[in-house]
Amino acid sequence: MKNMTLFVKKDSVIHNVDPLSKLLFVFISVAVTYILPNHLFVIGILAFTLLLLVVGKVFKYILPIIGLSLILILSIIIVQGFFHPDRATVLFTIGSFQIYKEGFSFALLLTLRALNMICAFGILVLTTKPDDLVESLITKGMSPKIGYVLLSVLQIIPQMIAMTGKITDAQRSRGMETEGKLLTRIKSFIPLLSPVVLNSLNDTRERSIALEIRGFNSTSDRTFLHESIYFKYGPAVKFLLVAFLIAVIIWRVML
Amino acid sequence: MKKQSMWSFKFSTAALVLIPAAIGINYLGKLFAELLRLPLWLDSIGTILSSMLAGPIIGALTGIINNIIYGFTASPVSFVYAITSGVIGLVVGVMAYKGWIASVKKALVLGLVVGFIAATVSTPLNIMFWGGQTGNVWGDALFATMIAQDLPLWLASFADSIVVDVPDKIVTVLISFLMFKNLPKNLTQMYDSQSEIERL
Repeated sequence: MKNMTLFVKKDSVIHNVDPLSKLLFVFISVAVTYILPNHLFVIGILAFTLLLLVVGKVFKYILPIIGLSLILILSIIIVQGFFHPDRATVLFTIGSFQIYKEGFSFALLLTLRALNMICAFGILVLTTKPDDLVESLITKGMSPKIGYVLLSVLQIIPQMIAMTGKITDAQRSRGMETEGKLLTRIKSFIPLLSPVVLNSLNDTRERSIALEIRGFNSTSDRTFLHESIYFKYGPAVKFLLVAFLIAVIIWRVML
Repeated sequence: MKKQSMWSFKFSTAALVLIPAAIGINYLGKLFAELLRLPLWLDSIGTILSSMLAGPIIGALTGIINNIIYGFTASPVSFVYAITSGVIGLVVGVMAYKGWIASVKKALVLGLVVGFIAATVSTPLNIMFWGGQTGNVWGDALFATMIAQDLPLWLASFADSIVVDVPDKIVTVLISFLMFKNLPKNLTQMYDSQSEIERL
């Protein structure tokens, strides 16, 4: 069965930091690049994020994730470079097109921010097991029901994907065409999707009965099946991150 | 059992279990759209279906959790659009409650409204995060032409989103509407917080 998460099991310092600190890191790292629109500063933050990825031994796994957003990044560079509203100074010319300095500098800033955002989320996603993150959120007061919903998605989707293979084959054997003109392809969308919808809605009935039997709606305190792993450096990391955020805000106000 | 308002935060177990199923439907809609090489995303069928079935709050939750999970499993960029997905669920839920899924014509209007609202919510996000673009080739081409003619940035960005969102949402709402209308009654009543049927 296809694994749903991007989590990479390795042993590193980053893996041992507690999930909530990493979550905090993501928000602060993204926020500061918007608070201080300074190229050098954003490059610094991006370099630090990349360094953390290397320390976490997951650097090569971030590349396909960046690849998915490549079209967006390319489009930012092209469109902002050529057409930015305050275009005045020509930086260089390709054929009959001129790249303007203002647009290019703006596009560079946007690209750096986007890359930093993807990499910062990458640190969280690649080095944190979703179960651990949800468990820490529940201990911090998130409703265990929402926790169940979050984790069950990761189980249900592979099941549903497995079901689609059967449905596609069954409908093909009844003469449904999945290739050809656009209209033909549009027509086969509904017969493909509706059996899955019906099936999965039917499953929810059984699942909700099963859950209620096991005390899903109980209001007493929840206990955990797994003993919580002890994560190191929690308070220190959080303190440093918040201190950094405050420093950046002060810097911005002083400017 | 007392009737609950559509804004109730007291979810039945069935409604909560609907959320993961709906996210799975979103995922498969996208998968099939790619398999059939359709020029649309069709990745919010589950969100819209769940708001039609269980109301705006469950719809909004489905939308938000959908993007969080997608961010965790495929592309972190989708975290940004969690707000848009949530608003889509909210709008469909409210309008469905007010009777905008009574006929195909009304569902068309609903699709149009959802498309426009999705574009309106996405525009500030796009401007803030990517300078106004969406990453869709056709939309961005329009964006570039409008910017080149010195039209205001927000207008160009809004047009960019409209071109991408409105056709997609109209088709998505229509498909969800057709499915919703053809679901057996004993299934739809399970999630309906207004119905007077006893809970499980």
